[in-house]
Amino acid sequence: MRFLVHLVLMIAVALVVGFGLSYYSLTDGRLLGALRVGPWAAWPAIGSASPDPYTRAYLARTGALQLGLSEGLAFIASSDGDGQPLDRSCRYRIEGTTPVASFWTLEAVAADGGNIARPDGPQELQSRHVARANDGSLLLYVSRTLAPDNWLEITGQGAFRLILTLYDPTNLSGSAAAVQTLPAIVKEACAA
Amino acid sequence: MRTLLWLAAGVILGLIVHLVVILSLPAFATETVWSRVAAAGPEDTVVVLPAIAPGAPNPLQLDPALSYAVCRVNLAHGPGVVSGTLPDTFWSLAIFNRAGSVVYSTTNRDGIGQNLNLGIFNADQTHLLAEQQIEIADGLLIVESPDDDVFVVVRLAAPHDVERPRAVAALAGIVCGNIK
Repeated sequence: MRFLVHLVLMIAVALVVGFGLSYYSLTDGRLLGALRVGPWAAWPAIGSASPDPYTRAYLARTGALQLGLSEGLAFIASSDGDGQPLDRSCRYRIEGTTPVASFWTLEAVAADGGNIARPDGPQELQSRHVARANDGSLLLYVSRTLAPDNWLEITGQGAFRLILTLYDPTNLSGSAAAVQTLPAIVKEACAA
Repeated sequence: MRTLLWLAAGVILGLIVHLVVILSLPAFATETVWSRVAAAGPEDTVVVLPAIAPGAPNPLQLDPALSYAVCRVNLAHGPGVVSGTLPDTFWSLAIFNRAGSVVYSTTNRDGIGQNLNLGIFNADQTHLLAEQQIEIADGLLIVESPDDDVFVVVRLAAPHDVERPRAVAALAGIVCGNIK
């Protein structure tokens, strides 16, 4: 009887560890294989001809059309700079500088990957259409409520993710893995 | 003490399960990028992917700011060729294999300019090319692909939304097929 209890316990632990670790490591790649810059995470090997096993599993799981190594790299954030999950009832300020790239886009998506911008507004912010400060730094707002400067209006309730895609990051010697700084994500007021 | 030993064995078994899951996942995936692109259109035909509507599902995780054209080529029928003229704005190109990895990618900033003229050769065809047994046009950008089953993705970023129809028309004008 005692043996049976131990056996069941072992199998339960094995299943939880095995599948839990797999799920966690492939959700946004924070555990292994990923490049992390503040709240942003990317898979640096995603555009290579022979990606590592984790990147390959992630690609198989998403079935997405990823960017090639010399095309660019997408960074995903699901939490703000303090580690709190991004919530659509809050207003987020995104400030700082982006690495040198031909251009970049910033998109807000729901957990299922669908775009959550206001249907008749712009679907994303992009480098060619934003106003900058004199020193070239950015000040972007992502919120449901009216915001000054560059505003990405979103809709709906619940958690969301931000995707910052850098196209043709020219300052990088062959690979986007050399990215050092990305804009900070700061939570401002939240609706009750 | 005994229970701890069983728990430790469970953790080790769990790590093995984890490795098996990670390594076998690509083989078990049914909705791959290849199957999605294959569903978009026939071989040797350029398909411009529909624009992403707000709130709509986006299985390929396309960037709504860009327009996309895809074309599937089978190098077993001869070297692949993709050619067209694209507007003078940012565009990039990637060659994917059946496994969904990018075999080759480039952007128009790499000195190509507006003319897209790409030849895709497998190992045997590259060999024949080196022996000058295959006739090719001047200025063809030659890429060697280890696999015969490939598809090409061209991404084009129209500077403004009003220029999107022109971008889509330019993408639709790309010719793709095999050198006979």
